[in-house]
Amino acid sequence: MCGFTGFIVFYGAWKTRNTKNVDEYLRTGKSSSWWVVALSIMATQASAITFLSTPGQAYVDGMRFVQFYLGLPIAMIILSITAVPIYSKLNVYTAYEYLEIRFDLKNRVLGSILFLTQRGLAAGLTIYAPALILSVILGWSLNLTIIITGSLVIIYTAIGGTNAVNKTHILQMAIITIGMFASFFMIYFLLPKDISVIDAAFIAGKLGKLNAIDFSFNLNDRYTFWSGIIGGTFLMLSYFGTDQSQVARYLAAKNITQSRMGLLVNGIVKIPMQFIILFIGAMVFVFFQFVTPPLFFNPVETEKVKNGLYSNEYSRLENEFELLQDQKRKKLREMLDGSARNSLSSSEDIKNQLNKIAKREQEIKTSAKGIIKINNSEADTNDTNYVFITYIVNYLPIGLIGLLLAAILAASMSSTSAELNSLASTSLVDIYKRMINKNADDMHYLIFSKLATIGWGIYAIAFALLASELGSLIEAVNILGSLFYGTILGIFLVAFYTKKLSGNSVFISAIVAEALVIYSFFFTSIPFLWYNVIGCVIVIVLSFILNPILPKKENR
Amino acid sequence: MDENSQNITDDKPPFLGSWNKIYLLVFGELVVLIVLFYLFTKVLS
Repeated sequence: MCGFTGFIVFYGAWKTRNTKNVDEYLRTGKSSSWWVVALSIMATQASAITFLSTPGQAYVDGMRFVQFYLGLPIAMIILSITAVPIYSKLNVYTAYEYLEIRFDLKNRVLGSILFLTQRGLAAGLTIYAPALILSVILGWSLNLTIIITGSLVIIYTAIGGTNAVNKTHILQMAIITIGMFASFFMIYFLLPKDISVIDAAFIAGKLGKLNAIDFSFNLNDRYTFWSGIIGGTFLMLSYFGTDQSQVARYLAAKNITQSRMGLLVNGIVKIPMQFIILFIGAMVFVFFQFVTPPLFFNPVETEKVKNGLYSNEYSRLENEFELLQDQKRKKLREMLDGSARNSLSSSEDIKNQLNKIAKREQEIKTSAKGIIKINNSEADTNDTNYVFITYIVNYLPIGLIGLLLAAILAASMSSTSAELNSLASTSLVDIYKRMINKNADDMHYLIFSKLATIGWGIYAIAFALLASELGSLIEAVNILGSLFYGTILGIFLVAFYTKKLSGNSVFISAIVAEALVIYSFFFTSIPFLWYNVIGCVIVIVLSFILNPILPKKENR
Repeated sequence: MDENSQNITDDKPPFLGSWNKIYLLVFGELVVLIVLFYLFTKVLS
């Protein structure tokens, strides 16, 4: 693990140490091939928390999370037709440059400030979240993990810029893919000898974990076919079309063909990749049907409750949970028995009994979480993120643990490097070079870019360290992202798909939308995911209403 | 924006001959995946 991580840093810094100008630093001199762009796009999106959480999501909730990605291929096609030609023909460095060309400077500044605010804090979270999980499971110092992983990313990102980010993304995606397949194949070796792959899939299916598609239309259900196709398309359009951490990936391509191919390959590969990761989670679930899992997967909170005032109550729940596991295994073997499998009534009967056991298990887990919360009011009772790492650390062979931890760190570093790089690009191109110092030479801007990368890196580390002191900040950051994303998407949608709306109407609409989103946050109980929709819709509708009323400057 | 805008040529895609066919491929794969996921859910659940 240390060897691979060290190699990534050395490789990224060494291969790109001769970066000579700003164009090379921010866009690789537009030299990337489509396959580099595709890998870089995937590596940017695949953060460590995704790699850790997704199998846990399948363990807890089944595979229906895959529907979240159904809009992604559609978004890739739309962006390839619309955004990519626009960005390429205008030869921009950042997405926000386009807003000045289409509208005016104030819209560009608004877009870039909204991005810097949101992505700056998100970069801290990208470092903090995996560091927290790794430190809890492996007993590492949280602050030290944050500082080391953050500093390693800063080194090669600051030295080589986008070129280093893209080159290391290739290696990082390779190790993530190898780690993913290794953990997938290991599950079959770890299952009991008499449980075949088909048996495992049969069990997962019968226990409701292979629910990949749900066509029901229910607004309260977060993951359905409809929410994935409709909501997912909007979300992916926003993320890949307006977020500089992704836009920078395909702006680095040699030409429009390479940019498009990079996005479209992502559109082809992403859903099968998520499906495999979720299927791994479903198989980990089957594995834990034959090996008793911990009642609560976060070992630190479990230890606290076992050493606290409620240790007896918690032990009683653990004992009952253990007894249920024995009953469940017996029923599972009955279900796998040939006669039961072939007889519908017998199979349904066993399934009903298993569902009763699962219901009781859930009740015990809820009680355990209640005790954990009473014991430590600041405890996070969601242990989804700890499921997969518990499986890795406790059941895989030593060499493979190292490989998978390297994959997790690679995923963390790949996202963070892209974020720092895009923050530096926007700081230079949209703020410093545009408004503060327009006439410096290229070397001056190159040095500024490197310093901006280091500065944003330090900011992200500082926020990650602060987050470790104030746990509730994590949720605040997620909410903060939703506070801005809808407004940014609204501005870009108006820019891409309308021709006559003026910069003034869009700017005022965006300010009003942002104010209303913030009002919704403070004074209503609307769930925060809806802020994205509210912000976007208000910008678009209000722009159309205000446009005839407001004085127009000529749009460029 | 870079003052010295380079010529960006909208080349043909590396395979299939036209972008529309590539878009159809991506969309077609999505449809096939949805059908497969549906069968996967139905058969195994």
